[in-house]
Amino acid sequence: MTKGLLTTAVGSYPKPDYLTQARNRLARREIGQEELRELERKATEEWVRFQEEIGMDILVDGEMYRGDMVTYFSENMEGWAISGLVRSYGNRYYRKPVATGPVRRKGPITLEWWRYTQGLTKKPVKGMLTGPYTMADWSFNEHYPTREAFVLDLARAVHEEALDLEKAGARYIQIDEPAVSTRPEEMELAVKALGIVTKGLSAYTITHICYGDFAAVFDGLLRLPVDNLDLEMTNSNYNLLGLFRERKGKLKKDLSMGVLDVHSHLIETVDQVKKGIRLGLEVFAPERLYIDPDCGLKTREVEEAKAKLRVMATAVREVKQELGIE
Amino acid sequence: MILPYALCSVNFRLLLPVPLGAATMDATLRKGFLLLTATVVGSYPKLPAQAGAPNLRTALARLERGQITAEEFQRTEDLVTEVVIKEQVQAGVGLISDGQIRWEDGQTYFARRIGGFSINGLIRYFNNNTYFRQPAVTGKLGWQGPIGVRDFLFAKERSPVPVKAVITGPYTLARLSQDQAYHNLRTLVLDLAEVLNQEAIALQRSGATFIQFDEPAILKWKGDFALFEEACRRLTRGLTAKTALYLYFWDIGELYPDLFHLPFQAYGLDFVSGEANYQIVKEFPSDKELGLGILDGRNTRLEPVEELVEGVRRMSSVVSLDRMYVSPSCGLEFLPRDRANQKLVRLVEGVKKAREALS
Ligand SMILES: [Zn+2]
Repeated sequence: MTKGLLTTAVGSYPKPDYLTQARNRLARREIGQEELRELERKATEEWVRFQEEIGMDILVDGEMYRGDMVTYFSENMEGWAISGLVRSYGNRYYRKPVATGPVRRKGPITLEWWRYTQGLTKKPVKGMLTGPYTMADWSFNEHYPTREAFVLDLARAVHEEALDLEKAGARYIQIDEPAVSTRPEEMELAVKALGIVTKGLSAYTITHICYGDFAAVFDGLLRLPVDNLDLEMTNSNYNLLGLFRERKGKLKKDLSMGVLDVHSHLIETVDQVKKGIRLGLEVFAPERLYIDPDCGLKTREVEEAKAKLRVMATAVREVKQELGIE
Repeated sequence: MILPYALCSVNFRLLLPVPLGAATMDATLRKGFLLLTATVVGSYPKLPAQAGAPNLRTALARLERGQITAEEFQRTEDLVTEVVIKEQVQAGVGLISDGQIRWEDGQTYFARRIGGFSINGLIRYFNNNTYFRQPAVTGKLGWQGPIGVRDFLFAKERSPVPVKAVITGPYTLARLSQDQAYHNLRTLVLDLAEVLNQEAIALQRSGATFIQFDEPAILKWKGDFALFEEACRRLTRGLTAKTALYLYFWDIGELYPDLFHLPFQAYGLDFVSGEANYQIVKEFPSDKELGLGILDGRNTRLEPVEELVEGVRRMSSVVSLDRMYVSPSCGLEFLPRDRANQKLVRLVEGVKKAREALS
């Protein structure tokens, strides 16, 4: 029997209400760091149990302890400050990291959380890193003379983190690069930077990319030095698969295919997701096709996210039964 | 003598005491005599750097919870706009904007008030880590009355220096929208050009002497230049105010030199993200003006004065200083307020230094 159609998630899950409240209370100094940490561990364990319960194959820690994906890393490194408020959209504002000196790791950043989460389960837990290109593109730079120097220094830091995760036993390492798709003119820089990150790793590497003009950067995406490309598919109605279909037989990378729209409250039906998976199987053999949501689920309600993930798990199970995949 | 700003489309340059008659003014202007005008591209950070100042974020949250009325919210917008005007004037900017404090973003501000649009979900704004609600074209587009006139007049009445009126151009507005009705980019762009032409005429009637059209999208889809040109002709029809085309986030590439033959009197280009513009713009029509966006509007690094002087020097062989504006590379809303303000102060320092060094 062939193996395949492993299920995973892109990274973030929604924080339960008690955690959101605790984060606000910490900001008002009503509770201490350790109290918050305790609740973050509790929430992480709940998500691990849920992922096990629905039978997911490669788990994530859900990022209960992270705020923004770039800020989390900058706060735990040297060479960074934080800016005043800038607007993201509508009435949403945030503080943006500012590189004010050489950016370096002070020590492991995500390792402790990865170890904690892996300690809760026998299923593999992914190491989750923000990529160097995205870190640089979503920050201010007051130190480096060029964007390239900034990105490459970050690549070296993220590489050290990846090595630490691998040494600790991580078999899957994902490096998120959502910014890569927005500047085709800097694709080469992104390829070079990710090459530094993944150099010498024996772990299976994945990069998640979202929201962009994929057609314009597709050849570049295929050159990103990772084993697996994780892309949103429902968001484009699976049209993106066409780009892969054109190159069928020549593809060296595996695909993680997003089958859940993370921006919609609507819960997909099992049939919708099964249809998507079958489209993916027209281009990829099951052992090279991974199934996950389009992007991080953190903007959904906890129950919405769970309902969506259950649909995904059921759909995968049914397709596997129908096709005799183990 | 009162300096009559509204008399002539370019009379904001007449900040020097000279005898004015319409005829002499025109002659003087043709020669040009104020070297280098410091200006802005448009947007400015909405939130104050200090607590206690009028705060739009709090006000909007309260409006959404029904704790204040729309009128009270508008009062906060007005107060913030007044502060933002003051910051620009105090920095020494010679041609300001109203800071676009009331703009949710460059698209929605117009789309909400043009017939035939509805507003959809969030999408990324070009290559920035900011988002906007995407307008959807759901029917025949039509101008339903002035969009920015009230806001323009509000700023004009409060500013001792000239205020530019800014309009997101038809091509960019069309490109960033979802077309559910026309299914044809050309007719969509051309219809929007008609709509925005009416808006520009309304602004001109209300006293706008400098009308700027923002069209960053044409730099991303340069192959549409023929359509863009057609749209620009419709867009500027009947306008006697000075018109400017502002293009940012990229260099102009192969649009040079045809770009400069469009019906605009001034062009604002991005020399930061589009650094190649220094090499690309080898010649520039002697009857037009060039805006040099040489201060990074998307990064907090504060440029040294010498860097700004050098930028002006590099282009001074192509455009004479009396036909040159200096500005940030794009709107300043990507920055925190205090840094945006510091950038404007630095901009004016750079302009003064460049005048001394190069004139
Ligand atoms: Zn994503």
